[in-house]
Amino acid sequence: MSENFEPKALAFLCNWCSYAGADLAGVSRFQYPPTIRVLRTMCSGRVEPLYITEGLKSGFDGVFVFG
Amino acid sequence: MKVIEHLLDMAKIDRGRVRLRWVSAAEGQLFANYIKELSGELSELGPFDPSRYSLQLSAIESVLNSPRVRWLIGMDRQVTERGNVYSRKVDAAVFEQTLRTVCEAEYQNGLILELLRSGPKTVREISETTGIAVKDVSKRLVDVEKMGAAELSGYEGCSPRFMRTAA
Repeated sequence: MSENFEPKALAFLCNWCSYAGADLAGVSRFQYPPTIRVLRTMCSGRVEPLYITEGLKSGFDGVFVFG
Repeated sequence: MKVIEHLLDMAKIDRGRVRLRWVSAAEGQLFANYIKELSGELSELGPFDPSRYSLQLSAIESVLNSPRVRWLIGMDRQVTERGNVYSRKVDAAVFEQTLRTVCEAEYQNGLILELLRSGPKTVREISETTGIAVKDVSKRLVDVEKMGAAELSGYEGCSPRFMRTAA
């Protein structure tokens, strides 16, 4: 594994909970690593298991679901 | 989530790659912490190569698409909390066990069918590539033959070869 490996992760954020949480994190300038690519969903219950496999298939190193 | 974790385990994909976390709108700091923690885990796992797992991932997709598994997942609360049509409740542990068994069977079916896409194969070849025991491959082949998804394509010496029917 290379020293400077930067993982790329797909993150599903619920519009009403974690998306607002992430927004707050941004507004309050909490530092976090730039690993995630955010996909906003209207509800984290909307995320189907198939989306997760699709994410892995398309080359992400990981998939996170935030509710 | 339980189902996908179980499936990833079967496919030997690390669980750390798929995570579920709860963050409310007021928990910006918590969110930042989770991202830090999870990215740390990911960097330790290293890059994910989807081409190495393409067979497994397709098999997982076929499991998630299979009517059997979809029905079972949909019935979870219904039969464990409210009771079935005979108003008998199914024990949650029993239900989970059933779900696991079904997932395993469907996963192996999916794996075999994916493999047969590349041409007819003997039971031994299937077993070698997928890592499923020979006797289980035979069992699963009976399954997929019943579904009409695969059939006997001919003999090579005395070992039968199976092929995928056009679907």
